[in-house]
Amino acid sequence: MKESLALSEDQRDCLQEVVNVAMGQAGDSLARFLEVFINLSVPRIRLVARDELNRELEAMVGGPSTRVSGVTQGFYQMDNGRGIRGEAIVVFTDSSFKELADLLAYDGEVGADAEKELLLDVTNILNGACLHGIGVQMEAELGFSPPTILGQHVRVSGLLENQKVNWDHALLVEISYTLEDRSFSCTMFLLMPGESIVVVKAALDRLLEEL
Amino acid sequence: MSIPLLICDDSAMARKQVKRSLPEGWDVNVTMASNGVEGLDAIRAGQGEMVFLDLTMPELDGYGVLDAVKNEGHKSIIIVISADIQPEARERVMKLGALDFIKKPVDGKKLQDVLKKYGLI
Repeated sequence: MKESLALSEDQRDCLQEVVNVAMGQAGDSLARFLEVFINLSVPRIRLVARDELNRELEAMVGGPSTRVSGVTQGFYQMDNGRGIRGEAIVVFTDSSFKELADLLAYDGEVGADAEKELLLDVTNILNGACLHGIGVQMEAELGFSPPTILGQHVRVSGLLENQKVNWDHALLVEISYTLEDRSFSCTMFLLMPGESIVVVKAALDRLLEEL
Repeated sequence: MSIPLLICDDSAMARKQVKRSLPEGWDVNVTMASNGVEGLDAIRAGQGEMVFLDLTMPELDGYGVLDAVKNEGHKSIIIVISADIQPEARERVMKLGALDFIKKPVDGKKLQDVLKKYGLI
């Protein structure tokens, strides 16, 4: 099963470039919202097994005990019931969250409600721009389910503990947005499970054929 | 004589998109580089009188390449082709000596318009 899901080097390269373009659009939206310059880095793409997911997440934010807040949002192809689908998870470390509140000039302590609002706002900005960008390039119209807060100021190792995972392997795309001179970094994980990978691979092959 | 043209991007697909967008019959000798370090080496070797340069790359990014080209005094004409569409990204590369900025995904018409604008074709 896993072999048939693995991306060829051309497919991986193509997806990375598609994500790169979408990430640029999302970075621009976030930059406008925060009125700062966002540093972008090369997106990382790999196939993960279910039991590797937590470790991947932990490694990204600096270890299992790092405290984070996270939001998840499902996406699906509206014009094709068996098309691209997956989940977009946006994770902020606690230190980044303080920077975020600071940038947006929240005074003093940010209340729990204001925090939720802030988390959802940034998630909407990033997911909206990034997934739209990916959809346009892959000629798929993507819809979203409402975002859900996974946890606030929790250890990253427990962030996904109440999430139902109904896949064995998923394609993991990892996108980081960081700021210069500040400790802000926010990571977006796109997870596309099993049968969605097959659809993505076919879409990538079409793009590659056009070259 | 053919113009030494360098296409520097970490994505093979992006490099192909640029190559495909070049004006037909343009007399160039194309070299490809897949990161900033390779790109800079090619420029030092005289393979980049004209350069199409990506920004987000491993090893050395496009800003680093622009900076090094400026410091080392190479006369390359550099056009940045990037997905980083923040207005400040454009300002930064122009300050570092880029001729112009084209956003990704690149299309042939836009690329040729830019080349015409500067009398390069």
